[in-house]
Amino acid sequence: MSSLLGHPFRVLIYTTKALALGHLLVTYGYSTGYGWGPSMLPTFLTMNEWFVTDRSHRRGRRICVGDCVVYGIPVAPGEEGVKRVLGLPGDYVLLNSPGVGSDTMIQVPKGHCYIVGDNLPWSRDSRDFGPLPMALIKGKVVAKVVVNGWWPFNWFTRVESGLHPVSDSPIKT
Amino acid sequence: MKPIWARIKRDHQRAGRFGYRLFAFATWIPVVSMFNHYVGELAWISGPSMYPFLNAEKDQTTRNDVVIKYKFNAPYGLRRGMIVTFWCAIDDLVSRWQVLRPHSADSGSRNPYDPEVEAVKRIVGLEGDIIRTRSPYPSPTVRVPMGHVWVEGDGGKRLSRDSNDYGPISTNLITGKVTHIVWPLHRFGRVQWWDYAGNIRN
Repeated sequence: MSSLLGHPFRVLIYTTKALALGHLLVTYGYSTGYGWGPSMLPTFLTMNEWFVTDRSHRRGRRICVGDCVVYGIPVAPGEEGVKRVLGLPGDYVLLNSPGVGSDTMIQVPKGHCYIVGDNLPWSRDSRDFGPLPMALIKGKVVAKVVVNGWWPFNWFTRVESGLHPVSDSPIKT
Repeated sequence: MKPIWARIKRDHQRAGRFGYRLFAFATWIPVVSMFNHYVGELAWISGPSMYPFLNAEKDQTTRNDVVIKYKFNAPYGLRRGMIVTFWCAIDDLVSRWQVLRPHSADSGSRNPYDPEVEAVKRIVGLEGDIIRTRSPYPSPTVRVPMGHVWVEGDGGKRLSRDSNDYGPISTNLITGKVTHIVWPLHRFGRVQWWDYAGNIRN
């Protein structure tokens, strides 16, 4: 005990170092977060679900069309959301929802992406605030976590890209 | 036999001590990283976009100004006249970077490192303000939308590419406020951003 408390600030210093190491892992490795709301329904439930986010995709690094991303909402300082990437810089995307009467297409500008929720009528996304700056992307959602049962490996469900090759179409020919 | 063993043991102890020192040094790296992430960081200013204020000796020297950016609660408490750093989606730095790496210029639309450049500009309008814009902007006046700010460089239209080119930016993009100039020494001191509030045209 005397060795542990040898230096008056030793415990404090060790705690700070451990916190800082944890912060490093959460900022540049993987982080978890809670999400709620109907905007990504059928992919994510309305509540009681956690996400595992790969932070190496921060600021849109190696993001592909179809990935689910955690992003900072541009019109609400400090708030974050989860949506799916519909278009990357240079892609042509539909400005509004399909079937509302307007077929306006826009080209996503450089350094931006177009994101929408899976539940189109109940989602606030790029159709409201426009293309999202890539720098607001915090990471890519790689798994969702639901605590059911005692075996921790059953809690995780991998989140796949929504863009499948045509050969994998669920419609049997 | 014995001296050899003693030497190996001594070398091992010395290496162990060195390894321990190295480890003890390495445990401080996350602490420094966390400090830089949340509290403050030095930043080297490149480019003339803040010309009369930062990089004032741009025509006499290639040396860049060094400033302190204060990063705690960066997107909050913003005022007109403050100098902020932010992740820029489109900026002169980006296009210059693509010129330096021409193979990425043609695939610029797919280059994921576009948003990896930080810019430094002065806040001219907060959300809800009506701004009289300058020439590249398509409309003569604009109301800054919710959660956004209007940023401009002191260098004016010729030296700065700012909100007049790419529109208002989200405050979530802001990474820090420039509070002090560190280098050059004769301009060392606190950034008196409130003095500039009168110069803002809007």
